[in-house]
Amino acid sequence: MSFTSWQFAIFVAVVFGAYYSPPLGRFQTQLLVFSSLFFYGYGQPELLPLLAVAVCGTFVFLTLALRNRAIWLPGGIVFNLLLLAFFKYKFLFIGVESQGLTGITPIDLLLKLPLPIGISFFVFHNISLLVDLTRDKTRPPSLTDVFLYIVFFPQLVSGPITRAEMFFPQIKPKCVADVPFVEAARWVLTGYFFKLFVANNLNEMTSYMDFPLYETLQTEDRWLLVFLYSYQIYADFFGYSAIAIGIALLFGFRLPINFNLPYISSSFSEFWTRWHISLSSWLRTYLYIPLGGNRCGLARTNLNLMIVMGLGGLWHGAGVSYLVWGLLHGLLLVFERPFLKSLQTIDSALLRFARMTFVFLCVSVLWIFFKLPNFDHALGYLVGMFTPGKNPNPPKLFHDLALLYALPVMIQHLGFGSVLQSRLSRWEPYLYGVMAALAYLEAGPDVSFIYFQF
Amino acid sequence: MGQRGDFHWLVKCASAALLSLLVCAIAVLRSGGGLELPATTTRDGALLTLNRYVREPIPDVVLVGSSLTFRLSEEYFENPRLRNLALAGGSPVTGLEIIAHQSRLPKVILVESNVLSRPADDVLIEKYTNKRRVEPLFLRPVRSGVASYENWMHKPAGHSQVAEALNRLVMQAPSDFDNRVYVERVVSQFDALDPAPVVRMNVEIMRGLIPELEGRGAKVFLFELPYIDQVEKTRAVTITREIVHAAFPDPSRWLPIDVTRSDLRWADGVHLDERSALITARSMEKNLAMRSRGG
Repeated sequence: MSFTSWQFAIFVAVVFGAYYSPPLGRFQTQLLVFSSLFFYGYGQPELLPLLAVAVCGTFVFLTLALRNRAIWLPGGIVFNLLLLAFFKYKFLFIGVESQGLTGITPIDLLLKLPLPIGISFFVFHNISLLVDLTRDKTRPPSLTDVFLYIVFFPQLVSGPITRAEMFFPQIKPKCVADVPFVEAARWVLTGYFFKLFVANNLNEMTSYMDFPLYETLQTEDRWLLVFLYSYQIYADFFGYSAIAIGIALLFGFRLPINFNLPYISSSFSEFWTRWHISLSSWLRTYLYIPLGGNRCGLARTNLNLMIVMGLGGLWHGAGVSYLVWGLLHGLLLVFERPFLKSLQTIDSALLRFARMTFVFLCVSVLWIFFKLPNFDHALGYLVGMFTPGKNPNPPKLFHDLALLYALPVMIQHLGFGSVLQSRLSRWEPYLYGVMAALAYLEAGPDVSFIYFQF
Repeated sequence: MGQRGDFHWLVKCASAALLSLLVCAIAVLRSGGGLELPATTTRDGALLTLNRYVREPIPDVVLVGSSLTFRLSEEYFENPRLRNLALAGGSPVTGLEIIAHQSRLPKVILVESNVLSRPADDVLIEKYTNKRRVEPLFLRPVRSGVASYENWMHKPAGHSQVAEALNRLVMQAPSDFDNRVYVERVVSQFDALDPAPVVRMNVEIMRGLIPELEGRGAKVFLFELPYIDQVEKTRAVTITREIVHAAFPDPSRWLPIDVTRSDLRWADGVHLDERSALITARSMEKNLAMRSRGG
C-alpha cells in the first residue's frame, strides 16, 4: 500500500479512529501491530510469514542474548544479516526467470520469492534492537512491543531507521488530546508536496536518463538532468520520511529526523550528517565505531571509512553501481579529511559557497550510479556528459518547468523554513493549504518512492 | 499551541486549500480548459494532439501510427488540415479506434502498418471516446503558466513561415551521423521479437474497423514507412509485413511512398531523421493527391 494511494488515506483514518476509541484503549499496541501487518501484507501477503520469522527469530535471540550476550548477540546479528543477504543478494547468483533451481519445492519457493519490501530497513531495526537492549541489560520487552518496534507501519518500508533505545520508551498508552495535530499536519503536507509536486513531476523529465533514452540527449541536458535527479531523489525520500514522521506523530510516536538540508553541506562528512541521517548514524553506531572508528590511526580510519561506505552502498542493492557509489563517497571522505580542519578555520562566505557548490556537484554526479544501477549504463551516461552530443533529434526539455518543479527544494535549502517560522508565521497555515492544493492539482504521474526498491 | 490554536490553524489551512481548488476550478470553466500544457514526454505530446483533435473542427486528413509516424510533423505537409495522431510508444490501432469512436470522420485516414506488435491502449480509447471526460476539472496552475509563457515566447510557426526553412532542409546533404551502434541494437531487438500474435489481433481489429469507417464516408489507406536495410530483414519486420499484406492484399489499399532510399537516414536506427521524415511526408502527400484525383 503506497503512501500516495487513497487506500492508504482511508487506512490511516480507520486505524486512527480505532486507536483512540475508548473501547480499544487497552489494545493500542496490538492494534498498531495488527494494522501494520495488514499494511505490509496488503500488496505482498506471501511475504508476511517472512516478516514473522524475522521478528520472532530476533525476539528469541534477544531473549537468549539478555542471558548470554557474548554468544547470542553475534548469533542474532548473523541471523538477520543472513536474511538480508539471502533475499537481497540471491539474484546475483540465480536468474529471476530460472525454473526448478534445486528440485526441492520449499527451497525453490524461497529462492523464487521477490525482494521483500523494506527488508533492508527492518533488518537494521532488528540489529539495533539486539545491540541496544542487550547492552543496557533492560528487562526483556514483550513480543508485541518487539513486533511494534519492527513493523510500525509509517517506518516499516523505508524508515527512518529508529534506534531501539529511542522507540521503546515511547510505547505507552496514548491519548488523542496529546496529539500534536499541527506539527503532524506540517510534516504530512510537506511530505506529500515534495513527493507529488516535486519528485513525481521531475521524474517525468529524469526518465530521459534511462538507458537507452539518454543517448538522444544533448550534453547540456545530461548535466541538467543530473541536477534534476539530485533534487528528485531528495524530494522523494525527504517526502517519504516527512509523511512517516507526521503519521507516526498522529499515533503518539516521534521518529528521528532523516534529512537536514543536505545540499547546503560544505563537506562530504557534513553531507552524511544531513542526508539519510538515520542510516548514517546507524552505520556509525553499529559498524564504524565497532570497527575502531578514528581511534586506531590514519590508515585504519581511512580503511574503516571505505568499508562503511562500501557496505552502505551495497546495502542499497546488489549491484556494482551501488558499490562504486559507496566507495566513491568513501574516497571523497578520505581525501577531504586532512584538509577539513584548516578549511574550517577560514572564515569566508565565498569559500563556503564554493565548497557547497563542489560538494553538491560531486554528490549529484554520483547519483547517476543510483539512477542507472547497470554500471555500464551509468558509465555511458557519465562519459556523455563530457563529450558533445551528436544526435540530430534530441528531446525537448522545458527548462522553465524544470526550474519551477525544482524550486521548492531550492527555497527550502535557502532557509525559507526559518523565515516562515519567525516573520511569516501568521501566513504559515495558508501556505500549507496552498501546498496541499498544489500537491493535488499539480501532482506528477504516480510513481513508487525511489527508496522502496531498497 | 493549544487545542484551540491547533483547530484554528487547521481550519485556515483547509480554507486556503479549498479556495485554491475553487480558483483553479473556476479558471477551467472560464478558459474552457483549452490551454495546451507543455509536453515533458513524447506521450504528453501525443495527448496534446489528441486533445486538439477532439476539440477542433474535423481535419481533412489524419495519420495514425506509432513513434515512426510521430516523426512526420504536420508542418511537413502542405495541407494545413492534416493532423498526425500517431502515438509514440503506442499502436496505430489506438488512433484508429479513437477516430472511429468520434461522431464525425475526416475525409482520409492514413494508417501506419509498421508497428503492429503493440496492443491498442484501451484506457486512452475510453478517455477520448467520451468528450466530456477529456476536460480536466481543475486548472494545473504551474503547467498552465508555463504553457502561456511558452505560447507567448515560442509561438509555433505556421505552414507559410516554416516552408522556407523546410525547403532549405531538404536541399541539404543527408546527415553523416554514425548510427551503426544503434542499428545493431535495433536489429538484435527486432530479431528477438515474435510479433505474430499481437499483429494478427491488431489486423483483425483493422479488418473490422476499415469497412466501418469507409461505410461512414472516410477513405482509409495503409502505408509502410521505410526502415534501414538491415532492419528491413529482421524477424519482427518480415513477420509483420507478411501478416498485414496477407490481410490487405489489394494494392489500391496502400499509399505508396516513392523515395530514394539512399537519401534517407535513421539517426537512432529506426526513426527517420528530420530531413528524411520531410522527404517521406512530401512523397506521401504527392501520392495521396494522385489517389484523390484517381491516379
